[in-house]
Amino acid sequence: MIPSMVVLAILATSAGFYISLKQSQTKLEQNNIAEGLFWPNPKQLLEFNTTDNNGELFGLKQIEEKWSFIFFGYTNCPDICPITMSVMADTYKRIKNEYKNVQVIFVTVDPERDDTEKLNSYVSFFDSQFIGLNGSPQIKNSLTKQIGVAFYHDDKKGNYLVDHSASIFVIDPKMRLVSKLSPPHNSEEIIKKFKKIKRFIDEKS
Amino acid sequence: MKKVSFILFILFFFSYINNISAEDHSKIEITNLWISEAPKNASVLVAYATFKNNSTLPISLNNISSLLFSSIEIHKTIIKDDIASMERFSTLEIPPKSSVEFLPGDYHLMLFNPKKPMIIGSAPELLFTFSDGSKIYLEAKIKKRDINNKSHHH
Ligand SMILES: [Cu+2]
Repeated sequence: MIPSMVVLAILATSAGFYISLKQSQTKLEQNNIAEGLFWPNPKQLLEFNTTDNNGELFGLKQIEEKWSFIFFGYTNCPDICPITMSVMADTYKRIKNEYKNVQVIFVTVDPERDDTEKLNSYVSFFDSQFIGLNGSPQIKNSLTKQIGVAFYHDDKKGNYLVDHSASIFVIDPKMRLVSKLSPPHNSEEIIKKFKKIKRFIDEKS
Repeated sequence: MKKVSFILFILFFFSYINNISAEDHSKIEITNLWISEAPKNASVLVAYATFKNNSTLPISLNNISSLLFSSIEIHKTIIKDDIASMERFSTLEIPPKSSVEFLPGDYHLMLFNPKKPMIIGSAPELLFTFSDGSKIYLEAKIKKRDINNKSHHH
């Protein structure tokens, strides 16, 4: 077995360099109301216009008045991404009747390989209502830049891998990043936390 | 005609006996080999299994191949500071008298570029090569992910 440090060193040198898109998300305040809740200063999202899995324009207007669960990943990630998507599919099935304005969004951090068609068959495999977005991490104010994290190979040759956020981000109807749910994910916990967060935010408004 | 079927029977019988004894003395056992069902146009699939080393010496899994995939790699998913990444291993040692379990969110096999869609009922054959020279051909089952799998829980 090759020690992980050696692998990482080889990876880092052979890849040239990684581009870090880690943004302000890490420093957001959290408190005791609910674990992972960003309060009192949740980040207000800026316009991020992109395209969805049907090739339609998707921006702030599409998240307004909705509770959005956002996960960053890529379709060539066969382990952790489908695990999270399956948990979200179960979560969604269990709350969609009670909360009509909930939506689940998968943002690809690998838009070069994940074209609209790939994205569409990927998200609908988990749930026909799921939304897939082209993350275009390079674009100013993309969701990846505003709330997610992605590290990728600059050369993008062969079967390259992308490191990305493992958390599920929660956006409230006022388009504010109100919470980050950390892995390991399970639907029961997500539902419990969501109800807590929603109750808290509803009381505030 | 009778003679031919007798010879066939003998051949079959011996190959059967041979298989059984090979199984009995096998230093390495692979169980529960499964591929997670994925979207039909997926370029990368994932497989999980348990590798058991019955011998008193360490044995490494050195290579995995299949006619149905362009390449197969050993990976491990690592989540650190909320960032998910995959680490690649060129070989994986199975310690003597113990098992290594490949599970969702942990060690896994990355199956690149399936030559045909893998659906429930498909049974792609994988070839595992170990450091002691042994080779194991095994059919993988395509299964739906079970999100209640213990590895996803706290
Ligand atoms: Cu992997």
